[in-house]
Amino acid sequence: MTLSSAFNIIDTSFKAIATQSATIASNVANANTPGYSRQVANLGTTAYNGVTVYSVTREANAALAAQLNSTTSDSAAQTAISNGLATLAQTVSDSATSTSTTGSQQNGASPYAQLANFASAMATFEAQPASESAAQAAVAAASGVASSLNSGAQAVAQARTQADQQIGQAVSTVNSLLSQFTSINNSVVAGIAGGSDIGALQDQRDALVTQIAQQIGVTTTVNSNGSMSIFTDSGVPLFESTPSQLTFTASGTLGPNQSGSAVLVNGTPITGPSSNMPIQSGAIAGLAQLRDTIAPQYQAQLDQIAGNLMTAFQETDQSTTATGLPTLPGLFTTSGATTVPSSANWTGLANAITINPTTDPTQGGDAFLLRDGGISDTSNLNYTYNTTGQAGYTGRLQQLVSALAAPMSFSSDAGLATTDSISNYADTSVSWLQAAHQQASGNATYHSSLLTSAASALSNATGVNLDTELTNMLTIESSYTASAKLVTTVNDMLNTLVNAI
Amino acid sequence: MTINNVSSSYLSTALLPAVRQAQSQLSTLETEAATGQYADLGLQLGGQSGYELSLRAQDDLLQTLTNANGIVSTNLSTAQTALSSILSSAQTAAGNLTQSSGSIGAGSTLQSLGQTNLQQLIALANTTAAGGYVFGGQNTQAAPLDDYYAQPSSTAKSAIDSAFQSYFGFSTSSASVGDITASQMQGFLSGPFAAQFESPNWGSYWSNASTTNASSQIAPDDVIETSTNANAPGFQQLAQGYAMLSEFGAVGLGSGAQEALRSAASSLINNGVASITTTQSQLGLVQAQVTQANSSMSDQMTLLQTELGRIDNVDPAQIATELTTLSTQLETAYQLTSQIHNLNLAQYLPA
Repeated sequence: MTLSSAFNIIDTSFKAIATQSATIASNVANANTPGYSRQVANLGTTAYNGVTVYSVTREANAALAAQLNSTTSDSAAQTAISNGLATLAQTVSDSATSTSTTGSQQNGASPYAQLANFASAMATFEAQPASESAAQAAVAAASGVASSLNSGAQAVAQARTQADQQIGQAVSTVNSLLSQFTSINNSVVAGIAGGSDIGALQDQRDALVTQIAQQIGVTTTVNSNGSMSIFTDSGVPLFESTPSQLTFTASGTLGPNQSGSAVLVNGTPITGPSSNMPIQSGAIAGLAQLRDTIAPQYQAQLDQIAGNLMTAFQETDQSTTATGLPTLPGLFTTSGATTVPSSANWTGLANAITINPTTDPTQGGDAFLLRDGGISDTSNLNYTYNTTGQAGYTGRLQQLVSALAAPMSFSSDAGLATTDSISNYADTSVSWLQAAHQQASGNATYHSSLLTSAASALSNATGVNLDTELTNMLTIESSYTASAKLVTTVNDMLNTLVNAI
Repeated sequence: MTINNVSSSYLSTALLPAVRQAQSQLSTLETEAATGQYADLGLQLGGQSGYELSLRAQDDLLQTLTNANGIVSTNLSTAQTALSSILSSAQTAAGNLTQSSGSIGAGSTLQSLGQTNLQQLIALANTTAAGGYVFGGQNTQAAPLDDYYAQPSSTAKSAIDSAFQSYFGFSTSSASVGDITASQMQGFLSGPFAAQFESPNWGSYWSNASTTNASSQIAPDDVIETSTNANAPGFQQLAQGYAMLSEFGAVGLGSGAQEALRSAASSLINNGVASITTTQSQLGLVQAQVTQANSSMSDQMTLLQTELGRIDNVDPAQIATELTTLSTQLETAYQLTSQIHNLNLAQYLPA
């Protein structure tokens, strides 16, 4: 051992201190950068008892990062569903009971509430069958029923169209993220091969995966060369050395009969009924579920209500001699309808249902036809129920009121009871929608708090604690002071030696 | 116990989600405190929404039916009042006829007794309420009885005149009227004359009322007949009795025939009194049914309102407590955030 070797050892110490300081500086600077993993300079002894930084590692935590990605996906899916259902639930929001200008209670906007208003108006009309104002009020209430079905169906179409557009945006976001991912992943692979510092690149790559997870649920694996592969949560590869291409054709406006197109990954569908490997989470999964399952089911319920209303209010041949006239649509009809559609053709009926203009005073019709019959064909007396023409006739009104409460059959596709009264069915439909809304909202809240805790867990495991960094800085500072002192001392000793000669 | 690393970024933002949640909850609570109802009822009730709505609709329907029963009750009371007037006039008329049985009163007295009462009967039968004729049955928009004394002669009067002419071969103004015997008069009154007040003549010449009574839904699932009509036997009997007095009281019948006329009229009017009383008691039953329906619906509405209140309304005391707790929580969060901000080694290092 010589004094000059002491110089060499101290020199390695200064180099190590410089690297450690740089690491601490980088950590402190990025203390508030989301997704930043703190770096640690690992020290080791050299062959000549010096010190060296043999590596700078990231405090990564793959398990927590995967957890963050999956909760991000779940939260995004639930938020998409919850937002969509909140829009639909607006149409049945009946919490505010208002009183109309005429003083009668209004039950809100849902088809059920409008049906209840209609039943009330019919009861009033029945008590005063000769009153023109009661007749007009009943027709106006019927018009309210039709327009509430129309607006419900429009809300469904709007929610589906919006979801379709959002899927389109999400797909292009994922494509652009995947191309960014490609270049960063290549840099990481090259960096590992070349032995350069790749910490920042890895942070960026992880952040991109989290952004992709926002749109599609993903799982990742890291290969031996450091390249990362991304798969959807259903196992379809999104990135394996090269990015997959996501394709999607936006449908424009989605009507009740149209189903939107599926999202394809290199030609494999990952959403919709044709998919063998449908994705489970991420905004795209949530939006697809809203567009393809939830909203169409509500549409089906509205269509069933509309179809059964048309059936319940249809008019039959009243002539005593059987003239075999066809059954015609009565109070509830669609524009230009000449028959009551059979239950197989009810799709989209909620959009089209309207009250017959022959009864609507604002369209030059006669509201008393509701009492007398003959709505369908005013020129054919065979459809008139009030054969004596008396103003106090209530037979037809009583028939219609009881038709609202009579059991009808509904399609099982709509997911509710198959035999029920129109009024009850509409009531159940509101419950169904609000229950779905409540559940989705609860799920969204739950998943968003899971996301918060997953993010904190990851942040705690891999993030920077300023106090720790400052403490390390103080230790390094002392170490630097000691090294400097040592240099001065050895220098003095050498000087003493030189002077002594 | 393990001591885990805590990232500074997490430490400084840890309370943010809590603050955000507290603030959103605060706005919800404020709405609820102001309105006394849940801020988003649909979200609160979920699958129960339909139940809440159906209670509301049922309450609404009961209220509508109660209001509609008001109209029915008005019609019924109007009808009862009219029937009472008809009844008391008929009783007076019957009394007068009985008094005049010993010494038959002047023909003109009988005639005017008949005419006055018949006019009154027709007027009362044409009573209206709420824009409809109460004795019209279903045909509420046409006066139930035509004016018998209309000019030119009403169809009913012409029909009676021609029946008389064809039975006796001369008109009421003929001098031969005095020769009509009591049995001849009885034969006419119980034969062709009585036929004028039976179907189909009654419907053709006298009445426009519908024999089908108006029916109303007075309670959910309870549709009853809520009117009577001018085709009820009481009206026919009284009209017949009054009309014979009015027509033949002062035409100069012989005393036997006049007595036959008086006795026939008297018995008809007495029968009419009995029939009208029956009709009155039937209407009274309907009135009782309506009152009964109203009171039971009112009970139901009270129950429904209570249940609705239980579902819709928030507990004000609970809201107030929650508001206080929440604002305390928010204040604590603010204080903690500021203190944590100061808990930083950099603050304590020498410059």
